[in-house]
Amino acid sequence: MATFNVIQEGPVNALALNRDNTQVAIGGRNVFKVYSIEEDQFKEIYNLRSSKHLNLSFSCNDISWSSTDDNYLATAATNGHVCVWNLTKMGKAMQEQDYQEHTRTVNKVNFHSSEPNRLISGSQDGTMKYFDIRCKTSVATFVSNTESVRDVQFSPHTPHTFAAVSENGSIQLWDIRRPEKCQHQFTAHSGPVFACDWHPEMTWLATASRDKTIKVWDLGSKPSLESTIHTIASIGHVKWRPQRKFHIASCALVVDCSINVWDIRRPFIPFASFNEHKDVATGVVWRGDPKVFLSSSRDCTVFQHAFKDASRPASKANPQGMCLNNSSEILYACRVSANANLIYKMTGFIRKSSSTNLTTSDQFHQASSTVHQFKTHLTQETKCFYSLASNYMMSGKSVSEMCEHNATVAQEHGKNYVSTVWRILKTIYGDEYNRNSSLYLSKNNDDSISHNNIVLDPSTDTDKQSKGGDTPGAQFSGGDDTEAEDQVDHSAPYGSAFTSYSNFRLGLPRGDFFFGDNELDVELDGLNSIPDIRNGIRSTPQIIDQQDWTLPNEAFNIRHEIQNHSPPPEQFPNQNSPDTNDETPLHAEDGSAAFLTIPKAPMRFEWNPSNILISALKYHATLGDVQTAAVILIVMGDHRRLLKDLDESTQEHWLLGYIELLGRYRLWNIAAQVIKLSWLPSVTQLNQQSTRINTNCGNCSKPLQRAGWVCDRCHTSEYALCSICHQVVKGLYAWCQGCSHGGHLAHIQQWMSKHKACPTGCGHLCEYS
Amino acid sequence: MFEAQEVNAEHKDLIHDVAYDFYGERMATCSSDQYVKVWDQNSEGKWNLTSSWKAHSGSVWKVTWAHPEFGQVLATCSFDRTAAVWEELVGETPGPGERGTRHWVRRTNLVDSRTSVTDVKFGPRTQGLQLATCSADGVIRIYEAPDVMNLSQWTLQHEIQCKLSCSCLTWNPSLSKNHPLMLAVGSDDTNLSAGGKVFIYEYSDNIRRWIKTDTIASVTDPVHDIAFSPNLGRSFHLLAIATKDVRIISLAPIPDNANTQSGLNKLDIQTAAQFDDHGCMVWRVCWNITGTILASSGDDGCVRMFKMNYINAWKPVAVLKGDGSHISNEGHRSSVSSAASLPTPPMAAVSQTARYIKLGTISQSREAPWH
Repeated sequence: MATFNVIQEGPVNALALNRDNTQVAIGGRNVFKVYSIEEDQFKEIYNLRSSKHLNLSFSCNDISWSSTDDNYLATAATNGHVCVWNLTKMGKAMQEQDYQEHTRTVNKVNFHSSEPNRLISGSQDGTMKYFDIRCKTSVATFVSNTESVRDVQFSPHTPHTFAAVSENGSIQLWDIRRPEKCQHQFTAHSGPVFACDWHPEMTWLATASRDKTIKVWDLGSKPSLESTIHTIASIGHVKWRPQRKFHIASCALVVDCSINVWDIRRPFIPFASFNEHKDVATGVVWRGDPKVFLSSSRDCTVFQHAFKDASRPASKANPQGMCLNNSSEILYACRVSANANLIYKMTGFIRKSSSTNLTTSDQFHQASSTVHQFKTHLTQETKCFYSLASNYMMSGKSVSEMCEHNATVAQEHGKNYVSTVWRILKTIYGDEYNRNSSLYLSKNNDDSISHNNIVLDPSTDTDKQSKGGDTPGAQFSGGDDTEAEDQVDHSAPYGSAFTSYSNFRLGLPRGDFFFGDNELDVELDGLNSIPDIRNGIRSTPQIIDQQDWTLPNEAFNIRHEIQNHSPPPEQFPNQNSPDTNDETPLHAEDGSAAFLTIPKAPMRFEWNPSNILISALKYHATLGDVQTAAVILIVMGDHRRLLKDLDESTQEHWLLGYIELLGRYRLWNIAAQVIKLSWLPSVTQLNQQSTRINTNCGNCSKPLQRAGWVCDRCHTSEYALCSICHQVVKGLYAWCQGCSHGGHLAHIQQWMSKHKACPTGCGHLCEYS
Repeated sequence: MFEAQEVNAEHKDLIHDVAYDFYGERMATCSSDQYVKVWDQNSEGKWNLTSSWKAHSGSVWKVTWAHPEFGQVLATCSFDRTAAVWEELVGETPGPGERGTRHWVRRTNLVDSRTSVTDVKFGPRTQGLQLATCSADGVIRIYEAPDVMNLSQWTLQHEIQCKLSCSCLTWNPSLSKNHPLMLAVGSDDTNLSAGGKVFIYEYSDNIRRWIKTDTIASVTDPVHDIAFSPNLGRSFHLLAIATKDVRIISLAPIPDNANTQSGLNKLDIQTAAQFDDHGCMVWRVCWNITGTILASSGDDGCVRMFKMNYINAWKPVAVLKGDGSHISNEGHRSSVSSAASLPTPPMAAVSQTARYIKLGTISQSREAPWH
């Protein structure tokens, strides 16, 4: 079966199938035709409006095809007429009967499903009429005592019963033989009921209403509500799906152009949805087959829908939900598998047959989810963040002290990498460095940044040479080629530690830090040449620089070991200028050093660590550890100026990122500290926003908008005085948001320590904490 | 190692979304039964139902919290073609230490869509109160509440036509002023030949319009969920996509390559990782707050977690079964290898999944390797 359609001249209000579902009659204001339904198209058989004598009786509200005689059609007209048409006749004679008995629009006509010639109509005038189409007038009139009847349907189970639904929300059950009084009447909906449909097998009646619900009533004995389907729009029509006990098709009166088929056991989401129509559908008829139905629409089309072309909203619906919180706890909701349900049931009823051939429609209604919350080992990381944030020191001490403190803190939390970064930072920018940095900073404008180290005091001419090399590579005086460069490279982040260490040994001024033996090993790991340098320093201080940078003979052998050591944590930017090669001959005098591939002239140690630091910070930020990046930036203080290549927006990004994270853990104090310590105006300004709180007038609770204590409404400041001493409060004012009374902080504190209620006696139980 | 706590949500139909609030201390659930429920965790860590109300007249697809600086505010979207904004009102406190009665009121109902609204997300806090919705007919709408104190007034700022039916959207939460406002939208269109299913939109301050800057062409299967990683300090963005597998896409703005008219940088789009560990449809992806861990869930009923190691490579770190049992590491090691060799034939993947479930009964307490 295929989906196809036919286009009409005007909106189609209703449609009806003949007995064997091969032909369809459609009716509307300007449409009245009969089509035969072919394999993939509609073929017009009759156009009943071809007659010249058109009048309002040709405008159909509803149409019904006799289920006993294929030649008879009945229509309900807007002018109150009920017409019976005989398709065997021609021209004007086709209109066999024209009952003009209703005073207002007829909403519905219906042939009896088994008794021939029996027809019933329901009208806006509040009455229903029962016709024998062989008679010129109605057989019986049923007065509903409601404003208007929207639908009438003969029961397929008891031949004398029919149901009628009204605009006042009620359902009536009538016996066709007792027109004087209805058998049952009850209110079904909170709004007008527009349609009803009897279940083909069960004693169920489905009703559709403007209150956006479809209700299924069991009328077997005492009427009871079987189920309710909540839909998104007023429902105009409902039709049970043949051979599918729980399925019902519906179409909306407004808003929703789709035709939905529901499973009443899962009343929340359509089982299938047909979205071909461009305007609301006005009628649905099943072709006896659960897979095919026809629909008419106000968009001037009539469709045949094949079930295989339906969209399944439930299949697109996400069956799982998941969320992670601050502590990396996972919230996970997922569908309980239908088979699991079945197994569960089977264990309950052991004797039940175990045919598990479930089709999708059998499983459809078994929809339920479970929610689990998982705690994982990853939660650890969170606690770490919280604790680090609380313990890190960001201001108030020297850079060295803060670095040392923070390194220890990081270490305590098992963050060895971070701890090392802190220690490196300490060596680079610590007090030792500070002592020399006055010179450094003053020279800062110079392109070639010189690390003016006292110990490694360079000779004047090398100084010049290095200045000559205008590329940043000149910083790395010694390191140009292969191995020598490698060596420096390896130790690059530790370079300063190295110098500091020399200082220490020489008894020269040093920072207030101290490397324990182990720490030294960590720091200078890979610099096995240290003992030699140490010796060299002791014996001949004059050649310190040579010893440092050319390495004695033994260093040659050891160097290979060095290379096997752990690589540096960060890639050092390779910025060495080839010019420095020229310096090689200077060192050639030293015979032993001739073995070295690159014997170097003693060079001033010029090295700008800022790029390494920047890449270290970026590395941490990329790994999601914005905490390290942000706190280091803060601790560095004025040294931040040296990080020329780190643009402000990145710094701002890190600070904001850290503040955001702190917020998630409610670490407001630390966030405020970060904002306060910030050097970026855009971050500092965060403190300036939303700083104003209006207190309320103690009398009328109106917020005191003006600067003073005077209430705009009460025109007095009397109620804004301290509730205890009745003086104007200058300074800290504590007040209860519940009753708007307050006073001096100390007074309120004192009062609340003894009492629970408000000091004014207003009876409010204020909370003070 | 894994603790699982079941929350008896008592929704009458499928739960489509769960959401933690900003602090991770409250949660909201929404379901096809048209109800939204809000839960609070008590001191013992148990979840208590605080509020429950019928929010829509159709399935509620998504629920999301606004930043707490705007109050306790939720947004929901539904099959009934609307999106709604809800605010919690706390009644009079009955006494000290006791909590007042709480209820949620609908502040606005956004009715512009003509089809099911499939996703709703609040914009970055720095932008004030912005809300993006997307719908099944492929329209993305950006709303704004000009006065953050008045949640009942929302104006439709932008309407973006996307050619395909939209299923999910995500804002780029980057805090950097270098990054323009960015949205990614996924489509669950099943037509593979329709091309890429993930679209990137950026807001150009110059022309005050949203511009589609990119389509991720490598994703042609239906997309069910999409999530930008929190960006607290990265220069590039990470986007997780739930499609037939889990993808992590990195989007790096190429500096000094701005389109002169819009002032937007071009993006260098790379697939950072691709995992078909689920071996079947992936429904959800979700980041932790620092953007270091990605969790995904799929039809295999498992939650899988991925983490970036120190050399910027993504590795699976954990597998959790939906019913709370933990799956041994052997299972997931083999999945690592399968992930490395990229798409495995579906049959192999299915058999692998079946094996997981068997292993699931043997709980192993060794910790998964991670960096």
